[in-house]
Amino acid sequence: MEVNRRQFIKVTGAGVACLSLTQLGVDLTPVQAYTSSLKIEGAKEVFSICPFCSVSCHIISHVKDGKLVSTEGDPDYPINEGALCAKGASMLSMTRNEHRLTKPLYRAPGSTQWEEKSWQWTLDQIADRVKKVRDKDLILKNDKGQAVNRLESMFFIGTSHADNEECAIAHQLARSLGIVHLDHQART
Amino acid sequence: MAKTFLIDTSRCTACRGCQIACKEWNELPANDTRQWGSHQNPPDLNAYNYKLVRFNERRDGDTVRWNFFPDQCRHCIDPPCKHEADAYVEGAVIQDPETGAVLFTEKTRQLSEEACEAVREACPYNIPRRHPVTGALVKCTMCHERITRGMLPACVKACPTGAMNFGEREEMLALAEKRLAAVKAEFPNAMLADPDSVSVIYLLTDDPFNYHQNAVAGVTRDLDRQQFLARLTAPLRRSARAAMQG
Repeated sequence: MEVNRRQFIKVTGAGVACLSLTQLGVDLTPVQAYTSSLKIEGAKEVFSICPFCSVSCHIISHVKDGKLVSTEGDPDYPINEGALCAKGASMLSMTRNEHRLTKPLYRAPGSTQWEEKSWQWTLDQIADRVKKVRDKDLILKNDKGQAVNRLESMFFIGTSHADNEECAIAHQLARSLGIVHLDHQART
Repeated sequence: MAKTFLIDTSRCTACRGCQIACKEWNELPANDTRQWGSHQNPPDLNAYNYKLVRFNERRDGDTVRWNFFPDQCRHCIDPPCKHEADAYVEGAVIQDPETGAVLFTEKTRQLSEEACEAVREACPYNIPRRHPVTGALVKCTMCHERITRGMLPACVKACPTGAMNFGEREEMLALAEKRLAAVKAEFPNAMLADPDSVSVIYLLTDDPFNYHQNAVAGVTRDLDRQQFLARLTAPLRRSARAAMQG
């Protein structure tokens, strides 16, 4: 490796600094023993987005042996510049927390029990119910006889985990169903 | 090469990003807490919270003011906790000559409960806490393993407002003076808390007691500063006496 002058000065500078500490009789061993490793050393960096609010801060997830070991703000993302609020900063706990849901849960009307269901069953249920409600409640015309195609008995809520294009599609879906009560999770 | 924090409370919005980032980096478990009428949660520093944003809501004439204080170890330049701990277990508390970080090692487990209490008493800022399970004394580590690899401490990295700053001591002192001059335009009583004796300098917009009783070196309302400073240097004087006698 070719060492240019600047690097050389840096290297010798560091050497001199270390020497002077040792010459002063400072024993660095206990400090070295205190800090031996960094938990994210050698970890793969995976980019993610905070799901909590519409700012959608970018997060770097540190993955080691397929396991998430740490998360912190992405300094290269111009919106949060590496910073995170208390919610965004808690991403590691959010993924590891024992209370986190990893499967859809269903509670039947009147029941007090939650049942684990498959994604397929859950999505089919949603589709069936959306269709049923829309067939029943869609308002084609208002009092004046103007075409409105409005569905007032359904509420649609978006998520800050969706990017701009996904939001556009979700919005189109909601509008095409006639939904007028349309909002975003980050506003609630 | 000594490192220093500047905590500019005029910029703190009490989002508690620093508090959680600290907890997450150190992988500290949750505390079981109750609503106690304040957003300050948990109510105090403990073995699982090395960093705590303190909230003080108060009346100022007809105005309600809220002071936010992101509390943590000050990493004193001449740490009284180390002097005290050295008297019981050598190496329980160490100071990194390079960064100035004051570190509580595994050896703090060897401290008796009384010794732990003595070390806690020695702290002018009421920071160290004893781990209920391991018996170790714990507190902020200055994210030593991060800063020695050129990374920012987790709390500083997370801060969205620029309240938490970290860098070379000279740089931080210069920034502190610059910010103090700017903040004084709005808050004439703004001050730096003990800038000459600690590595974690707070910029306060008004009376330290409006933040927290230990915002500045251990002066409580009952104990005047003179008395306190005497206590601060007591371990030093003790060892000097011992050296003379020895």
